Amino acid sequence: MADSPEAVKKAQKLYLLIGAILFVFTVVTLLVATVPALDVGRHGFDLADMTIGLLIASLKAGLVAAIFMHLSNEKRTIYVLISLGIVFGLAMILLIWFAYADPIEFKGFYDIGNLK
Amino acid sequence: MEIPYTVTARKDTGLFNSKVGIWLFLASEVMLFGGLFSGYIFLRIYADYPWPERTLPVLPGLINTFVLIGSSVTVVFAWAALKMRQWRRFQVFMGITIACAAIFMVLKGIEYTAKWGHQAVRMDDYAIVEGHTHKAELDDHGHFHVIHGKKYPDHAFPANRIVFETNEIQIDLTRFYAPYMKELIEQAEERGSKILLADTIAGKRNPKADEKTVAMAGEELAVGFLKDARELFLDARAHNAGVRTDELRRLWRVAKKNNPGEPAYLLASSVQVDDAALAPRLVPATGTVKFNVQPPMPFVFKRSWIRESEESARLKDDTILRGKLQECPLVMGVDAIDFRYMAQKAEAAGKEPMSVIANSWLLQKPEYKELWKQHLESVEKLEQKLIDSHGWKDEARGIANRVPTDTERYRIGWKDLVEYKTGERPSMVQGFAGPSHKKEEFAKAFPELEIPNEKISLQSKFTPKWNTYYAIYFTLTGLHGLHVIGGAIVLAYYLFFSKGLYLRNPEWLANRVEVGGLFWHFVDLVWIFLFPILYLM
Repeated sequence: MADSPEAVKKAQKLYLLIGAILFVFTVVTLLVATVPALDVGRHGFDLADMTIGLLIASLKAGLVAAIFMHLSNEKRTIYVLISLGIVFGLAMILLIWFAYADPIEFKGFYDIGNLK
Repeated sequence: MEIPYTVTARKDTGLFNSKVGIWLFLASEVMLFGGLFSGYIFLRIYADYPWPERTLPVLPGLINTFVLIGSSVTVVFAWAALKMRQWRRFQVFMGITIACAAIFMVLKGIEYTAKWGHQAVRMDDYAIVEGHTHKAELDDHGHFHVIHGKKYPDHAFPANRIVFETNEIQIDLTRFYAPYMKELIEQAEERGSKILLADTIAGKRNPKADEKTVAMAGEELAVGFLKDARELFLDARAHNAGVRTDELRRLWRVAKKNNPGEPAYLLASSVQVDDAALAPRLVPATGTVKFNVQPPMPFVFKRSWIRESEESARLKDDTILRGKLQECPLVMGVDAIDFRYMAQKAEAAGKEPMSVIANSWLLQKPEYKELWKQHLESVEKLEQKLIDSHGWKDEARGIANRVPTDTERYRIGWKDLVEYKTGERPSMVQGFAGPSHKKEEFAKAFPELEIPNEKISLQSKFTPKWNTYYAIYFTLTGLHGLHVIGGAIVLAYYLFFSKGLYLRNPEWLANRVEVGGLFWHFVDLVWIFLFPILYLM
């Protein structure tokens, strides 16, 4: 990580650049969502719009994490900690799949036909 | 005591300790917000009503995104300044960061206030209208009148209340809620009525105690004697329960003695307390008291306080009112008409949505019929525009490549209303946090609507009560807002109370600011997802 005063001084330009990129991406997100001419997929909000919106958001989040939070140049301990957080965070989101364990809608997990 | 590894790195982790600490914390935060985002996805996928996509005013959210990204840049510059030992520069950048946090919260406040002041009503046929409730008053005869004009008298109330002409009030002694009682007393005072106790409240705590009179018949309702009456009632009830329990114990002892070895479940039917024999040892205990309203008068209640029917009503604290429900429509200036829910229900029932909508209660009113006609024309124009620009997919069967969304088809938003009335569509800036009823040129485009009480199936401000979208919106943005406040407090501490540490050990302060900054970036990162998800999708 940029730790010496000289390195920090140098890195400031990068921070400004990333800030500018984040601004631009925000504007792009807005335009894609509001200007009819830039509407992707069907007219109005749909899967394509959602994918683009979330991709841009993920990209922005990635830049903030990598550059502002110095994750691009960090010690191993931190990667272990944060990946644990992300894995369990994703697990939280994937919990939704348990909704499909409803025996009436979804027969995969729990087939009444096999019960004697 | 010296705190270890504040500046130097630990051998095993290669880091100073607080950095490991903040990343552990951030990992837990990722899980917390992961769970909430999961909740959002779940609510959206399984919503049984049309999800209000792209309905929030975008501008406050957009500005807040810029503000947070900007503050992320400045906080990293503040840290860099400390690394280069430039105190003044640090102060400037940290100051900007905290100012950004303040701007963010102010905008959030404006947004929330607009939501809390905005009325929504779902009617019994699933038509939805949104707008601002007008004010109303009761005249000398107790009749409901809407007030038109800018000035309201003191006794005016929002025209979304229940008015109940009351001649008798029954209060539950264990459950009555003092603020409700005070409201009853105040309203009676205002209209010159009296709420008078029907029968004297008197009794004994137990048979040996002295007879105590709490209040005489004809006394005016007061919270003080209700509390005394509650105490007397609870004591008497406790005494009676004690007597009964003792008697039951005695009977069981006798039964067991007379039938040794017999299991309890066989004995149970023979062990019966003789209530008549017990009566002399009990004291009278009544949990309710009655009051007469003289002369009978209409009381005005918030809808959330009361469940009403034609001849009686019950407040949330089990206070029962008897009398007659008055004409009390919900009157509002309508700034949006939404038939999406109705269309969804019609489709589910296998009916043609457009004809169901045309037959709805709302569209029987000429003014709204006219608006709907105008709206259908504008939808038709949009349809044609989309065909012109994107062509047909299958012209023979009339399937276009692009068609209007359900929102465009079935919802008349406030900007549409203004456009239909004035021919000009308000800009993004004019509708900053939602429709403004204060601006004359907008307000005249919003027609007044009187919805009879029995047509309303749900009415609410735009709060978690209205639907699950607003529930998760307030949960996510509220929790995020708390993070902004918490982060700003920590950063402000570095700015205002850390000069001493800077002079003593600048590297330590730089590390602290880095850790605080990491949290700040995380807050920014959450908003980067919240903005598109809540405002644009």
